[in-house]
Amino acid sequence: MPPVSEAAERRQELIAGGLLLVLALAWTAAVWLTVPVGQGVGPRAFPFWLGVALAVLSALLLLKGLRGGHGLDPPGEGEGSAAAPPVSAGRRLALVATVCGIIAAYGLLMQKIGFLPATVLTVSATLVVALGERRPLVVGGMAIGIALGAWLAFGKLLGAYMPRGTWISLF
Amino acid sequence: MDLLLAAAQVALAPAALVAVLAGCLLGVVFGAIPGLTFTVAMALVVPMSFSMETAPAIGLLLGTYIGGMTGGSVSAILLGIPGTPSAAATVLDGYQLTRRGKASLALGTAVVASAFGGIVSLIIMVVSVDMVARLALRFGPAETFGLLVFGLSTICGLAQKSLIKGLIAGVLGLMVMTIGIDEMEGAQRLTFGTVVLQQGVSLLVAMIALFAVPHVIDAFVQHYAGERKPQEVADVRAELPSIRDILRDFWLMLRCALLGTGIGAIPGTGGPIAAFLAYAHARKSSKRPERFGKGEMAGVVAPETANNAVTGGAMIPLLSLGIPGDPATAILLSGLLIHGLIPGPMLFIQNPGEIYQIYLAIIVAYVAVVAIQLLGIRFFVQVLRVPAHLLAVAVIVMCAYGAFAIRNSVFDVVSVAVLGGMAYGLMRVGIPLTPIILGLVLGPAIERDFRTAMILSEGDPSVFVASVPGAVFLGLAALVVGAQLLRSIRATLSARRTEEKRRASVTPSE
Repeated sequence: MPPVSEAAERRQELIAGGLLLVLALAWTAAVWLTVPVGQGVGPRAFPFWLGVALAVLSALLLLKGLRGGHGLDPPGEGEGSAAAPPVSAGRRLALVATVCGIIAAYGLLMQKIGFLPATVLTVSATLVVALGERRPLVVGGMAIGIALGAWLAFGKLLGAYMPRGTWISLF
Repeated sequence: MDLLLAAAQVALAPAALVAVLAGCLLGVVFGAIPGLTFTVAMALVVPMSFSMETAPAIGLLLGTYIGGMTGGSVSAILLGIPGTPSAAATVLDGYQLTRRGKASLALGTAVVASAFGGIVSLIIMVVSVDMVARLALRFGPAETFGLLVFGLSTICGLAQKSLIKGLIAGVLGLMVMTIGIDEMEGAQRLTFGTVVLQQGVSLLVAMIALFAVPHVIDAFVQHYAGERKPQEVADVRAELPSIRDILRDFWLMLRCALLGTGIGAIPGTGGPIAAFLAYAHARKSSKRPERFGKGEMAGVVAPETANNAVTGGAMIPLLSLGIPGDPATAILLSGLLIHGLIPGPMLFIQNPGEIYQIYLAIIVAYVAVVAIQLLGIRFFVQVLRVPAHLLAVAVIVMCAYGAFAIRNSVFDVVSVAVLGGMAYGLMRVGIPLTPIILGLVLGPAIERDFRTAMILSEGDPSVFVASVPGAVFLGLAALVVGAQLLRSIRATLSARRTEEKRRASVTPSE
């Protein structure tokens, strides 16, 4: 794993601190406006004070990023972020959107046309469009293999409910 | 004894045995594939265990956990890439042994060491959980609150690179868990009037989103970053070490097993730390420390014993107190909850039979893991030849169907997609994911105990420090965070001092 450069880490802190601060303020405001106070330590107390805590912590992170010092970070190993390969930020964002889009679309498709067709369609589309796989044997084999394998393992072996499809129902 | 026999009947029934075996296999394979951890496998398996009986479901989950812990050593030894973070220390000598042509023996020794560590830690766990649970039974809501806060503080403070980021992650997890209907007064919290949000964010949805989706995205990114060619894996089998070899390292194994169990019992630490400590210990206590790093078998034995001993250690706070120490045990906890088993002191009174089933499942899992590694290793190492991005496609299917299977709801699938994207974002900006999941798991109990204690004390907050255990736990929590704070301030100061010194030494020469 290449070490994250200090400048990159400062930028990370600025982005994370800024976004989380906005989230914390929005959350706190929403809690204050919509959740009733209740009696004693009511339903509002926990979400409200957690929101405040997040606001304070993210403000600290933001400050740390702005100041550019070492702040409260002890050096040492930790979970660390994923290795940073040379992929542009835009590309990365597009890939995040792609993967999330695929999962969401697959879920909807599963309900509309049933598990088997949806899986075959999703797997082959993902391979060809998102990953640029062109070998027909790989695409076909993976699509049918994964769909059938999952259908047998979950539906037949474990007896879980497999969506049948509301638009068309093949199985 | 009757209870044990009754539990044995359930836990050793064919369906339960098959489930453990399937779990082990899945765990070993996921553990062996670099980039996919057994945590991912467990997050994907939990929804599947829904439709199963309690015993097979427990067996499946425990099998995945234990199989995964041993599976990481396979790629560590064969490829020099740890399959899971816990196997990172095994790489140091394991890969050197492979290069010297001793891969089979290294694999076999790793399996034996793993099983030994696991069984020793199981024995310690069986002896100690009961005592800890008995102690914890006397705790009221105020003491439990203190205990939970202490557990959460060690996770946010100890294991993470940055205290602020660890705390942010913990708070985020706690926040998400307050969404939905407030269980004490029935007030709607941040549901925005929708029905789907009333039962809150499903723990299982959150787990799949936090652990599986970022892996898939990462695999896609890696694919575009320049394909990592799958490594060539030679034909291997696992060769059992001789009794003499085992006896030679027996005391080392025992010490490492105790070390691993102890580390595992502290929430927020876990496998990687235990493995590296054990490796360091093995080198220090060895008669020939110079051979470490060049293919010394003790360098494989020590970390493998320790990281598997962590499994038993981590079960101690999980079962007796209801506090999971790492993502894997957090997922295990949610799997137990599905089947009506609520980890904590009451578990030992309400479900003593299931406790025995858990113990037996762990033993069966270790037997299964040894069998799988000895007989099946040459087949499943073939998975290591499949490119990561193709595996990622299969994981996408499992993520989506797993989320769907929780309550047959497409909303959950879409939630996994959205939360998964956010989790990847958090990971990218350096916010650790582990404290989030533990905040999610512990959040409801922390709030419930705090509010119950306040009601019982009629609004007097001194109740939290009124009893000795309560005061001790909150004091320890403050200590953990305080010590971390002090350490980081000191690090900042020394960094600034060296900076100044460097400048001072540079200036005159200019």
